[in-house]
Amino acid sequence: MMEPGAEVAFHRPRTVQEALALLSADDGAVCLAGGATLVAMMNADLIAPSGLVSLSGIDVLRTAERLPDGAVRIGAMRHHRQTADETLLEDGQQVVREAARQIANTPVRNMGTIGGSIAFFDPAADYPPALVAADAIVDISGPNGDRAIAAAAFFVDWYETALGAGEMVTGVRLPAAPMGSVGVYHKLARVSGDFATASVALVLAMENHTVSHLAVAVGACAPTPVRRPDIEAEIIGNGLDDAKVDRLADALAERLDPVDDVRASAAYRRLVAPRMVKHALCRAAETLGGRQ
Amino acid sequence: MTGHPLTLKVNGQERALSVSATRTLLETLREDLALTGAKRGCNQGVCGACTVLVDGQPVRGCLSLTANCDGAEVTTVEGLADGNVLSTVQQAMADTGAVQCGFCTSGMLISAFAFLRDNSAPTVDDIQHALSGNLCRCSGYRKIVDSILLAAKRVA
Repeated sequence: MMEPGAEVAFHRPRTVQEALALLSADDGAVCLAGGATLVAMMNADLIAPSGLVSLSGIDVLRTAERLPDGAVRIGAMRHHRQTADETLLEDGQQVVREAARQIANTPVRNMGTIGGSIAFFDPAADYPPALVAADAIVDISGPNGDRAIAAAAFFVDWYETALGAGEMVTGVRLPAAPMGSVGVYHKLARVSGDFATASVALVLAMENHTVSHLAVAVGACAPTPVRRPDIEAEIIGNGLDDAKVDRLADALAERLDPVDDVRASAAYRRLVAPRMVKHALCRAAETLGGRQ
Repeated sequence: MTGHPLTLKVNGQERALSVSATRTLLETLREDLALTGAKRGCNQGVCGACTVLVDGQPVRGCLSLTANCDGAEVTTVEGLADGNVLSTVQQAMADTGAVQCGFCTSGMLISAFAFLRDNSAPTVDDIQHALSGNLCRCSGYRKIVDSILLAAKRVA
């Protein structure tokens, strides 16, 4: 934070290394990504950084590419609109594209970035459950070098991530999803473009009516996206009958820790989230059934 | 507003400015360049009254920092008309009575302009989706949607 009346510094570095040096040189400096959240908070006097390090001049953060192992790397500064139209995403990776399409509205999707969104980590935002369901890896650079961390471990608590002092998100990597898998993002919101009241992100693959891959994450109903890998593992290798769907929905419901807020009561979220899981899973299975 | 020198191309005209780091594009347009078409509603990016085009894409003026826009092309509602001849979408809004108090109108026009540029034969559903980031607190949106349908028909 800064003294009232002091000038805020503005930097627009060309490389990640320059950005990291600027962040290290000033404890009160923050990264400016798309501004959709940071500038809104500055306008509301909720935050007063002493310096702004704009990431918009760093080309490597603005690209998306397919890596040799089939993963897709999305640079931190890719706008939601770009990810919503991203043609590199295939099969179950499309869960992230579906989430991007449901963020806010066109002008905000033109500004907001995937790196800015996850670094701020509003638990009701659309990317976190989608990234967790896609088994995404978050790439981080900092004063001690680069590191990579699973999305499930990156999201730590309400508005808290694994980012340390002086670190920044440089991108996310979505591993190749099984061929023929589908990604579904099912969002319940009060109005189009609002943050989620509750959301479900999933990736499902089936071979001969047997589940070969399953990942289901519930968003906006706990401090971080909720998954049950133990129950997913039980279901993989079996058919997806009503009992299995109910078992996973109930197991996810056990781990929810929702709050009462302006969007819904905690009790409502507990009621609706497991139903959304069932709906999304059945929709995904129907999609795959149509392909077989 | 000292500090960061930069240039913007606003409605086709080069403007040299010097701004503080926290000055928003909306403040620059309204207070420094006297372009008061874009409105300050919520100042939180929610209402859409400040929507302008930056490099051809609709964005929130209130969430854009001017210092971050060096070299950008900015189009405001003042840049839509050709002299005294209104653009198609402006004329359609006037003809259908889609302007009530007028506060949301410039943002609606900018969103509609960018939408019609990319979509020549939109449905009502497409239009409602495209305008979901622009709030009007006077109306039921009906005449606004009608005006954009009319504009699309006139362009076709």
